[in-house]
Amino acid sequence: MSKSFRTATLIMIASFLLGACASPAAQVPAEATATTGAAPTEAVATTEAPAEPTATTPPTTEPTPTEAGATPEATPTPKPLASKEGTLTIWVDGGRVQAITDLGKQFTEAYNVPVEVQELGFGDVRDQLKIAGPAGEGPDIIIGAHDWLGELVTNGLLEPLDLGDKAESFDPVSLQAFTYNGQLYGLPYAVEAIALVYNKDLVPEPPETWEEMKEIARNLQEQEEVEQGYVLQQGDPYHTYPIITGFGGYVFGRTEDGSYNPEDLGLDSPGAIAAAEEIDSMVKEGLLRKDINYEIMMTLFKEGKSAFFLGGPWTLTDLRSSGVNYGIAKIPTMEQTPRPFVGVQGFMVSAFGKNKLLAQTFLTEYLATDEAMQALYQAVPNGPAWLPLRETLDDADLLMFAESAADGEPMPAIPQMSAVWESWGKAITIIFQQQQPADQAMKDAAQTIREKIAESQ
Amino acid sequence: MPPKRSVKRLPNLNDQKGGGVIRPTSSSSFRTSFLHMAGLALLDALALWLVYSLLGNGAGTAGILVLVVTGLVNWVFLSDRFYPIRWLTPGLVLMLLLVVYPLVFTVYVAFTNYSDGHILSKQQVVEQLQRRYFQTPDAISYQMTVYRSPEGGFLLFLQDPQGNTYTGTEEQGIQAYPVGGEPPERIGPYQKLSLAGTFQYLTELEKIQVSGEGFQVRITGPNKARQALAKYTYDPDRDLLTDNETGKIYRPVGGSFVDNEGKPLPDAPGFTAVVGLDNFRRVFSDPQIQGPFLRVFLWTVTFAGMTVLLTFSVGLLLALVLNDNRLPLRTLFRSLAIIPYTIPGFISILVWVGLLNPYYGPFSLMIKDLIGVSPDWFSNGTLTKVAILFINTWLGFPYMMLINLGALQSIPMEMYEAAELDGAGRFAKFRYLTLPLLLISVGPLLIGAFAFNFNNFTVIDLVNEGGPPIVGTSTPAGQTDILISYTYRLAFAGGRGADFGLASTIAIFIFLIVASLTAFNFRFTRQLEEVMR
Repeated sequence: MSKSFRTATLIMIASFLLGACASPAAQVPAEATATTGAAPTEAVATTEAPAEPTATTPPTTEPTPTEAGATPEATPTPKPLASKEGTLTIWVDGGRVQAITDLGKQFTEAYNVPVEVQELGFGDVRDQLKIAGPAGEGPDIIIGAHDWLGELVTNGLLEPLDLGDKAESFDPVSLQAFTYNGQLYGLPYAVEAIALVYNKDLVPEPPETWEEMKEIARNLQEQEEVEQGYVLQQGDPYHTYPIITGFGGYVFGRTEDGSYNPEDLGLDSPGAIAAAEEIDSMVKEGLLRKDINYEIMMTLFKEGKSAFFLGGPWTLTDLRSSGVNYGIAKIPTMEQTPRPFVGVQGFMVSAFGKNKLLAQTFLTEYLATDEAMQALYQAVPNGPAWLPLRETLDDADLLMFAESAADGEPMPAIPQMSAVWESWGKAITIIFQQQQPADQAMKDAAQTIREKIAESQ
Repeated sequence: MPPKRSVKRLPNLNDQKGGGVIRPTSSSSFRTSFLHMAGLALLDALALWLVYSLLGNGAGTAGILVLVVTGLVNWVFLSDRFYPIRWLTPGLVLMLLLVVYPLVFTVYVAFTNYSDGHILSKQQVVEQLQRRYFQTPDAISYQMTVYRSPEGGFLLFLQDPQGNTYTGTEEQGIQAYPVGGEPPERIGPYQKLSLAGTFQYLTELEKIQVSGEGFQVRITGPNKARQALAKYTYDPDRDLLTDNETGKIYRPVGGSFVDNEGKPLPDAPGFTAVVGLDNFRRVFSDPQIQGPFLRVFLWTVTFAGMTVLLTFSVGLLLALVLNDNRLPLRTLFRSLAIIPYTIPGFISILVWVGLLNPYYGPFSLMIKDLIGVSPDWFSNGTLTKVAILFINTWLGFPYMMLINLGALQSIPMEMYEAAELDGAGRFAKFRYLTLPLLLISVGPLLIGAFAFNFNNFTVIDLVNEGGPPIVGTSTPAGQTDILISYTYRLAFAGGRGADFGLASTIAIFIFLIVASLTAFNFRFTRQLEEVMR
């Protein structure tokens, strides 16, 4: 008797609870239909209204979009919004989320397509796409940096893009950056590269050659006007690259189609070794100092204790608020024109989105326009990749960074770079710390990288 | 306060094990039984809801697993036979879920090539390749206008560069539209859509297949289409992939599609595959891994051991001082000493790195004033190790102080009185009473601290990223890398990005090392405990 009573109670309570739980879930498709269905009647007044607006999206395909269906606003949820048919889902980092949300609203008004924006941390956009994309829970579009391409494309997470005639309006370097294996994977919108930042109070005219700059730094240090004339972060390959290229070195050679060739490593080429020896001699002379990190570099400069550093547009906010009388100039010429790495920000289409054609159209027809690019620029001022906008730009600092970027080459996005950053950084650290002759450090690094690349194939 | 000797008495509890299980008597109230049932029903309802959503999301295996586990839990709860483990089941289920499952998964990953370039399943790769198209040299691009019928069918109105017009539908394919000229408002039941009005149907248009003679029409935008052909065909029965453009045939081998010469399909992602012992073979044969292993291992043990020794000594010293009733303002000092424990580690580590900077760090400048030289904290291997141990001691001593304070309270005062009667001095009391008694209760925590520091990635990586580098070798290991940070460098800074398979393999080895060290430690402390009895 007790057993049958237990079972009966159990079934009763379970069915009661299930009924209570299930009803909100069951309502979701209805709500989703309501939102998609309501929009056409408002917006399509200009064109012929479809006879059955609710038939647009079959709502039953997604059983549990509880958060997604109910909240069209961007709310940070533990589980990011996933792509669903008929709605564009965009993942973007916090700095740009407002601009994208506004653009999305305008797009919905003009084209009657709902847009949902999910805010994530910058790096999380990439990392989450790797997990959520293949699981069918990724977005349609992500916004990120071009050097994610190697990782994302080799993992099969991105969809190729065809810009058609619009390609002519983009900075060629930025398009090259978003090209992987001869195929374009992103719509670039911002271009960043480092340039020379100098203190106008200490150095009225920016130096044009590297020797000139060293001379000024040496004099300032001798007169004890500054603690350190020129500062460079220790063991940081990115900021060292202009020196490597200025002396004729390179990291990866190019294949015929312009993409980087992992077989041709240039870190022990004569030019790169000459650059390493230059750094070595500057350390010996006291013109470069070890144990400098980004914070120390910025502090020294802002307090007038250093005259030069290489920095990108991301330092501008800090520089402007500090009140230091700074100027931006091109990186001084060495044996050749130094070429900094160029980083490009842009939009990419997920290979696992459910609206690939719509996403591509959103990029090529809607974002690649003056108005959208202007809105993006105003949200986060940065060197625009959209050439018509760059022509109208009046921020002298940003223009100078853009000019520096024009000399640069896209930061290699090939997956082999993860091995390169590590060993190259190690070599530069060894040179800063004077633990090994410069040429040997570079040769060892190149050897390690070659071994790693060979082993992974 | 009554003396507590809980640690020593714990084993006695086991004596009751043989004494029979207390079963519910028939008089157990209706209310208890009802509450049990309600709780179980709630659990079942939650589980069923979870299964429902898991199945809906296509996670079938996980759904069935939850169902099976819920069934077992119900069985255990409803059967009298399992009464003894009834209240253990929640713990057991959680342990399976949170401990055993990740372990099993890690071991599984160690046998696969799961890494960048191989994260998709084979089916996903095949689906992606089947979406690729190629164009024959004479392929035509069309201007396209989309028409839609009230039933939701689509018709494409296509104009080639010569001005010839065609209509295309999924059912009837491409047909010439002899009228020519501009697209009309209606074609049969189909109504013309404006360019802006086409956008909302793009996702549906993406799916429709319109074929002509010897080609397919691929929609590339809201008003553009072109002739194209599927690039790959996959034959599931023979498990072969054919490139329709070149006629080459690819077969899946070791996580990639390869041709007859073993060359992988260009521009295609690989997939996750079981590769057997490949990762284990790499661990044993790769000079980059083998070379510095002993050196890294020795430093790992030194680091963990020294950290425990230093934090314990400092913590004990402070605990002894703060435990003395004669000390004024004890509470204040105690609170001050706990501060390092309350600041998040990654903040205090970075602050210390700044304080120690040889040129600008106040701490280093102070040393410079004292001895005339600023120590080369981050360029000299030995000094970096000293700095790491110093910082880690600073981070860890409050914890040791807290547990020692607690343990000191539990030593009965009578023992000290007896020792005094026997003529023991202050040092003798510490050496023969306090320390051994402390070690009994604190011993397991010291082992825990050792195991934790064995894998203390945060400190190592934040202080100097494992550096300074070992000069003249091709290994990624730095002079202060411990096994776990070394694994990270091997697995995530390799030639092609992250390699989870290799990382899991090395993690298994680290687990074996830590497990055997811990087992050894436990045996050692047990001996200690027995001596004290």
